[in-house]
Amino acid sequence: MMAMSPIDPRLQEALDGERDPGTLPMDLREAYARLVGAANLLQTLPAVSVAARVMAEIHDLKPEVPSVRPARRLMRWLARPRAVTLRLRPAWTLALVAGLAAILLIPTQPTNRPSPGAQEGIAQFVGHFPGARSVEVVGSFNDWSRGSLHLRDEHHDGIWHGAAVLPAGPHEYMFIVDGERWVPDPLAGRYVDDGFGAGRENSLLIVRPAQASLDEDATLR
Amino acid sequence: MVNDGPPAPTDVEVVARVLGGDGEAFGILIRRYEPGLLRFATRMLGNPDAAADAVAESLVRAYRHLAQCRDPARLRSWLYRITGNRCRSHLARRRTNDISLSEAPPLADASDSWAVLERGEQVALVERALNALPAEKREAFVLKHVEGMSYEEMAAVTGARIPTLKMRVHRAREALLAALEELV
Repeated sequence: MMAMSPIDPRLQEALDGERDPGTLPMDLREAYARLVGAANLLQTLPAVSVAARVMAEIHDLKPEVPSVRPARRLMRWLARPRAVTLRLRPAWTLALVAGLAAILLIPTQPTNRPSPGAQEGIAQFVGHFPGARSVEVVGSFNDWSRGSLHLRDEHHDGIWHGAAVLPAGPHEYMFIVDGERWVPDPLAGRYVDDGFGAGRENSLLIVRPAQASLDEDATLR
Repeated sequence: MVNDGPPAPTDVEVVARVLGGDGEAFGILIRRYEPGLLRFATRMLGNPDAAADAVAESLVRAYRHLAQCRDPARLRSWLYRITGNRCRSHLARRRTNDISLSEAPPLADASDSWAVLERGEQVALVERALNALPAEKREAFVLKHVEGMSYEEMAAVTGARIPTLKMRVHRAREALLAALEELV
């Protein structure tokens, strides 16, 4: 087993192009030269070519027309109006009316849904990740720390759901799929630069106070 | 002698030609990127034959799914990403990150100093040290120091975040330096 110890940060900076290697002390300059020399040795280009093999294989192929992405397909399915036709016998109709009346008249039981305070709202997270083993949400609301908000795929159809009570206002977030893949929410609609300079974006969610939503609902009625 | 021929078409132009039905134009992209992809795959897999298979499979896959390349101006990153994925699949099938003894380059006599080793022996030693790294660190080191990519492009190729990639490169350098000191 080789002994591995941290190397001087100045050497790392020089190798990252953030420091002039000429300013390194002699021992670090030797290590710098050894690593750069090793990289140069690895830059030798292979003498083989697969061009003829690839061109032969694609000769009878055509680039495939991309299918609609799953998230977009899900959005279309959700947005498309559908006609529902019910054909009921009169007896069944009466039974249905009685059943509905009973449901409406029975007082509702308290549920396990999160209940927000005056300056809080419920954030719903939905993502389509077929084949994923786990999906969780990290964001500015939990200091980007993992383990606090896991989504569930209750119907084993690749659609993962979860909800959380969050303070009203904007929150940046990302999904972590299978514990390692960071994925922005394709349904978020709003995104902000993640500040790491790679053109990557976090999803943005704006939580409205639940009380405000209830007031608006009451006004609409 | 000055070459006054027409400028080489950009990746965006070539992709448009291929998607427009000119399949032969894909050869331009192969010639442009094949050497680097083969080198990358060889460093990842430690075996030129397996690397050739991985690159050939990647290029056929890239051709078939070319319409899904959302940003043809960054075609190079996309091709490296596909090739990196193929290499990971090959490594997973082998169920080990280490090359077999039969594939390992011969070790030079440890009593030789680095300066007196022939170039071929130096390459073999460095390859052996590189192949001892875990695949993620090996990939990060090769993309950074062999393929000369920025951390931003590496993020596009691997899907990992920049701080993660910096950490992998730093750890790979440490391990490689230690291995080279041990081998020579």
